[in-house]
Amino acid sequence: MKTERCRDWRESLGAYALGHLPAEERAGLEAHLEGCPDCRAEVESLSAVALLLPHADPERFGPAPQPAPDLGERIAATIAADRQVVHRSRRRRRFGFALSGAVAAAAAVLALVILPGGSDGVPEQHVQFASLPSGVTITATLEPHAFGTEIHMYVSGIRSGTLCRVFLRGPGGTRYPAGSFRYRWGDNSEAVLSSALDLSRTAAIGVHAGNRTFIAPVDQATAAIDNQTKADAT
Amino acid sequence: MPAGALSRERDVREAYSAHSGELYGFAVRSLDDAGLAEEAVQETFLRAWRAGERFDPQIGSLRTWLFAILRNVVIDLGRARSVRPKVSQGGIEPAVEPLDEALLSWQVEEAMRRIGDDHRRVLVETYYRGRPYAEVAAELGIPEGTVKSRVYYGLRALRVVLEEMGYED
Repeated sequence: MKTERCRDWRESLGAYALGHLPAEERAGLEAHLEGCPDCRAEVESLSAVALLLPHADPERFGPAPQPAPDLGERIAATIAADRQVVHRSRRRRRFGFALSGAVAAAAAVLALVILPGGSDGVPEQHVQFASLPSGVTITATLEPHAFGTEIHMYVSGIRSGTLCRVFLRGPGGTRYPAGSFRYRWGDNSEAVLSSALDLSRTAAIGVHAGNRTFIAPVDQATAAIDNQTKADAT
Repeated sequence: MPAGALSRERDVREAYSAHSGELYGFAVRSLDDAGLAEEAVQETFLRAWRAGERFDPQIGSLRTWLFAILRNVVIDLGRARSVRPKVSQGGIEPAVEPLDEALLSWQVEEAMRRIGDDHRRVLVETYYRGRPYAEVAAELGIPEGTVKSRVYYGLRALRVVLEEMGYED
């Protein structure tokens, strides 16, 4: 409900959210907030923004750094040179969509930045989550890298906006976080994540979404995971 | 292949002109190295191009998709640079969280760049420099009440810009 009083207080809400209001004024505003859901909602929303401010460095508010003017041309040239490789890799399909053939094709470039080792002989793994609520599908592809494991995750059927936290589980049941993403209704694109855990040591992959955790075993570790899942549930 | 997928060289050029500035800004912020940041942007567009047919502009924003790729590229580059990442006691490698922090920092800094100069100025003076409103008002030659209202409208502008940039939570 908007009142004359709101107009009096509105422009103090920013200073209040930042904790800048002198005690007396603060007390007056808080008395108004008690009875005014609109202003309370505004304060909440501004406070959420205020909480982000400490993450920024005011030294970096100047003009954004710009890439070299010829970077675009260099990229265009690289891509033109890449055409043939891509045409080959796009033939590789599984699960009905082109999988990470691109990653294999990128190996030549990535060799510069990723040292080999740690993932010898482990092929990429395709994981299908079972025991999901009706209408929900979750699949994942796990690729070995020297740094750990790259995860391509495909989700559908859950509530739009749901935050999904992904983790891998090592042999001893230790969780290795792999990041998070937000599912949007109708979005059938993949979430690309990564974790430090080697694929060869990955026993399971889990997704925590909307207060529920779904776990799928990776490769032959099924038995170990079932036990672990039970342990989790208790 | 969905129409508009990032499947032609021309699409990549358009994507580059629309998003390279932001991508580069974040790469610099997280890698703290201009040369490495250019490498990261180049690698991002190369990966995007190679996976181009998986992108469907009807359902997700190209910007979000490119940022997701860049995030992985930065992880790869960062790990390669540190040669052997240190493993903490629990055996969990902590490198990803600082990157998310860098992304958050970059988003807030970018939002700050996009709001009006007047709004940014009062937020810098009152919040980051912790100066009294009266002092800032005197320096800017405006009433103290105006400083206060600029703080309010500055926070609101930040909120709008962050929403435009796709920030949530």
